[in-house]
Amino acid sequence: MEKVLEVKELKVIRNGRIVIDGAEFEVLKGDYIGIIGPNGGGKTTLLLAILGRIPRISGSIKWFGKELKDFKDWHRIAFIPQDATNFDRNFPLSVKEFVVLGRLGRKAGRKINREDWEEVDLALEFMGLAEVANKRIGELSEGQKQRMFVARALVRKPEVLILDEPIAGMDASIQEKFYQKMSELNHKMNVTILMVSHDLSVVFCKMNKVICVNKEVYVAKVGKEAEEVLRKAYGEHFYFVFHRHECRGEFVD
Amino acid sequence: MIELLNYQFFQNAIIGGILIGIISAWIGLFLVLKKESMIVDGAAHTAFGGLALGLLIGIDPFLTALIVSIISIFLISHMRSKGHAYSDSAIALMLAVGFSIGLAIISVTRGFGVDIFSFLFGSILTISREEIILITLLATSIAAFLSNFHREILAIIFNEDEAKIMGIPVRRISICFNLMIAVAIILSIKMVGTVLVVALMVIPALAALRLKCSFIKTLISSITIAIIGVISGIIISAYYRIATSAMIVLILLLIYMIIVVRKRW
Repeated sequence: MEKVLEVKELKVIRNGRIVIDGAEFEVLKGDYIGIIGPNGGGKTTLLLAILGRIPRISGSIKWFGKELKDFKDWHRIAFIPQDATNFDRNFPLSVKEFVVLGRLGRKAGRKINREDWEEVDLALEFMGLAEVANKRIGELSEGQKQRMFVARALVRKPEVLILDEPIAGMDASIQEKFYQKMSELNHKMNVTILMVSHDLSVVFCKMNKVICVNKEVYVAKVGKEAEEVLRKAYGEHFYFVFHRHECRGEFVD
Repeated sequence: MIELLNYQFFQNAIIGGILIGIISAWIGLFLVLKKESMIVDGAAHTAFGGLALGLLIGIDPFLTALIVSIISIFLISHMRSKGHAYSDSAIALMLAVGFSIGLAIISVTRGFGVDIFSFLFGSILTISREEIILITLLATSIAAFLSNFHREILAIIFNEDEAKIMGIPVRRISICFNLMIAVAIILSIKMVGTVLVVALMVIPALAALRLKCSFIKTLISSITIAIIGVISGIIISAYYRIATSAMIVLILLLIYMIIVVRKRW
């Protein structure tokens, strides 16, 4: 299977502290990966480092076989940052105007054409936002805002979608719908997904791999192997309980 | 009123005013969204130093003002991005330095025998045919840039980091946008002067944003408000012999207040 991302011996220092130390992992095409770990463990740092947004001390990062510094095809990757929905609610953009921004980037100054608007309509339809297409972005609920960001990512036709804690602020029923859409994207459209999540039940039920970040980075397939990895990552202060048949996991202090 | 339209100076003022109003409102909207509207005030006051410098060395003062204004905008951006100063402190610093230099030069040379008030408060009614041609060329260039890149600028304002990841050439577009701000400020100084230029760029945007529309509607509203303010300001000032810049700004304020009150109801 095609290697989407290859990380070797990655070391990242932020504010004088080693946040990521010797990370090694691969992401294959079609993977649906949950990135978990304690708060301050380095999940967001890891994402920003693999996207080249923060410098690394050492190690190599390859996207689609190309070293990060030589990689130019950023349209193949879409990223939704943490707290993306905390924007100025008076920002004068309609949902449609916002989503079409996702079509930018390949060539600056390119005119938005009918095909672009059709892609926007399709993405809004897929994310269940067609009815609010002409509303201002500040008028949407938290769940709708998050789906709007995914719609903007989708119009770029990405091969990889990276989301940093996308479900924060959503109620349980909206979360479930959101994860359904993510699974559809992964299974039907073969989009590789990396998602930071604190919801272990979702990670263990819906995703095929776990990346656990707590300064060191542990990778495992979902299942018994992942349980070991989580124990290593969280240390002896946590006792991990994993009910495979119920498909849920939790930490007990 | 009809008689006024027969005068060349009045026709020039209206044409120049509309063109300057359009680009000021357009750029002003982006600056308000970027929460950097005070950069206009900083660069405009710094440009006053440039105007004085031009008069001192005997070249077109608006050319030196443009150069000084460009330098000040880039210095403010540099100080902010490198963490040397917060945005408001960097603006205050440039404003004070530029204005003091201008004041010092003018006081030493006893005012060069020119009307300093025209720089401070504008002189749209004295605009010449040649200046109209120059304004048209510059305004068209700015409008072409903004219409081609307005979505990229919006994406950068919304979230610069995301824009970089999306592959938008953030640095190049930001440099061009800063240049456009400087040109728009110098053109606006001709109309309303260094003291009130910030009002011409900011009030139409603030009023349009109160309407709570999509971006395109907000932009059209902002430009429309600026045009109404400029035309009626020029007419009333010419008719009643009131300072044009003050009249334009007061009408823009009136429009803003009407929108605020109507929206409350």
